[in-house]
Amino acid sequence: MLKVQAIAVRFTALLLLLLAASFAAEPRRINVYAPQALYQVDILFRDGVDYVGLTDLLEPLGRLESGVDGKKLKLTFNGAEAEFQDGKRQCRVRSNKLDLPSNFLLVDGRGYVPATSVAQLLPRLADQAANFHQASRRLFVGSSEIHYSTDLRHSPSRLVFSFTAPVNPSTVIEKNRVRLLFRREPLVGPVPETVSYNDVFVQSATFAESPAGAELTVNLLQPATVSTGDGGRTVTITATPPPQAPVAAPQNAPAAVNPSSGGQQPHPAPRAHPFVILDAAHGGSETGSMLSPSLAEKNVNLAFARRLQKELEARGVYVVLTRVADNLLTWDQRAVSANTSHSSLYVAIHTSSTGQGVRFYTSVLPATPPSTQPSAQSAPSSRTFMPWDQAQSPFLAQSSAAASALAAQCTSAGLTSRTSAAPLRPLNSVTIPAVAVEIAPTDGNAEELAAPEYQQRVATALATGIAALRDKLEVAH
Amino acid sequence: MISRRLQIVIVTLVLAIFAMGAYLVHLKRKAESISGPPVSQALTPPVSGPAEQLVLYLASDEQNSLRVTAISSALPSDSGERGRLALHALIARYLEKNSPHPLGPGSDLHDVYLLDPASAVVNLNAAFADTHRSGIEVEQLSVFSLVLTLKAQLPQLTRVRFLVDGKPRETLAGHIDLSGWYDVDAVSRASDTLK
Repeated sequence: MLKVQAIAVRFTALLLLLLAASFAAEPRRINVYAPQALYQVDILFRDGVDYVGLTDLLEPLGRLESGVDGKKLKLTFNGAEAEFQDGKRQCRVRSNKLDLPSNFLLVDGRGYVPATSVAQLLPRLADQAANFHQASRRLFVGSSEIHYSTDLRHSPSRLVFSFTAPVNPSTVIEKNRVRLLFRREPLVGPVPETVSYNDVFVQSATFAESPAGAELTVNLLQPATVSTGDGGRTVTITATPPPQAPVAAPQNAPAAVNPSSGGQQPHPAPRAHPFVILDAAHGGSETGSMLSPSLAEKNVNLAFARRLQKELEARGVYVVLTRVADNLLTWDQRAVSANTSHSSLYVAIHTSSTGQGVRFYTSVLPATPPSTQPSAQSAPSSRTFMPWDQAQSPFLAQSSAAASALAAQCTSAGLTSRTSAAPLRPLNSVTIPAVAVEIAPTDGNAEELAAPEYQQRVATALATGIAALRDKLEVAH
Repeated sequence: MISRRLQIVIVTLVLAIFAMGAYLVHLKRKAESISGPPVSQALTPPVSGPAEQLVLYLASDEQNSLRVTAISSALPSDSGERGRLALHALIARYLEKNSPHPLGPGSDLHDVYLLDPASAVVNLNAAFADTHRSGIEVEQLSVFSLVLTLKAQLPQLTRVRFLVDGKPRETLAGHIDLSGWYDVDAVSRASDTLK
């Protein structure tokens, strides 16, 4: 009997250990929605309190310099000074004292503040309003929030959601229910979160948010189709007379066109999608090459990507980045980000201390039969299955054309440039036109790569070239 | 109580240990000064027989190009051995002083295996990958020159795969893909895009 009990105790302990391990394996993060970037910050759990790293939080928002002096962390963010002390609640921000809800932590030279304090801290430090939704771990910085209103209309019966900015939700149509999933949009909901309708078509609409994003669930009494319009600012759920089998459709699949939807487009307008996805290569423990003893490629790549992002946005180009902080992404994660971003162009950014100027690379793949090459006006079918390591094949001609155009732009800006093909990951697995750029110094001095003047010169040339590609690639994509 | 005679013996033995230790250190230093630094050349085993032409695709960092060079050498009849010898000769060129495309010390390959006349697996040593300079351009030149030099010796070759110390590796030095098979024709076309 005792032996059976001992086995039961050991089995229970093992189960608990496995359970704890599964919880430990799930990284907890805060989603930060800011006008500059959408990014995630890892949570450090200490003494029953959720902490966030100050560097991870602030670096994507502006210029940050920090240094550790004994137990003190001193930082300057966009010119504003702040000082924190390990194990103390009180800190100083712009010569004002502020009490944190828990002690400040200094771990391995990195400063951590309680997650609940960021809504107090950011307005003082960054001069930007901040709204932290603790339960869903979503942080809204500045004027990033997107709000919505609903309008129930008749003849035909339809529920129209109007958003304050373009959105691109994934749509799931189920029997008597439509779910709109907002994974990247900083959508916030109304109070109360559920609105009931006394209608023959719509029963209720509910807003919910979680760490995975926001979700609008509409309970219906009739089958419906979903369409978007006004450049992604409206989503309309319209009743369809004949009953339909339950269908789950991702957002990028063609939705049914309702002729009575007032001329709205079944797809979001092209401008609702980013045009280009920038991929700062390497990151985290993978430093890339050491350009000089103190200059890691991963950091210079990110600096170039950010500068290029600003230049592109100044030209009205909608940009997303695969990473905005010093975190490690696998090759496949980068390819998946590119393939699900609805972008028209993927640009990987590398830097090198060898050679000169700017080099552009496209994929090396076996020859593709002409029948699978897309024409200039038609994108290849997204429904054609391709091997993962040859998925770029149908886009290779467009990638080469984009690389040549960018190289020509750099040459006209006085930079040495050339194009080539290289077996470089993840280019082969990207299902949009894809180019890798490797930026080298002009004179063999690797320190030039970190110089703002050189970065700006290259970023300006690249941004001009990418902006000029918009008409060609958006039509084709 | 230890006798005086025993004390003298112990002290003598301890002194002898120190003296021998010092002499050993002296001998080691002398041997190191005679042998010099470790040999970093890839060594090619001697092969007897008539001399044949060996075509090498030599990379040049400065020109960012592959230059075709022919040397005369006795070659074995076995295809895998011919491929190995050709790559040995190529790597030896890269390890020379004033190399146009320097590789790290100790770079070499273990073997070339032919799965069939069209498929070759090149097993590089760890030093080749671990000491290779990192960057798209320099890694691209190394891989292209190896693939095309092998193809020059084995005309039926259509695909090549690289291992490092017998194991698959993601990239050569952080950039160029080593995880899959290289289509030799695709590499040949891509090498045309070099300057």
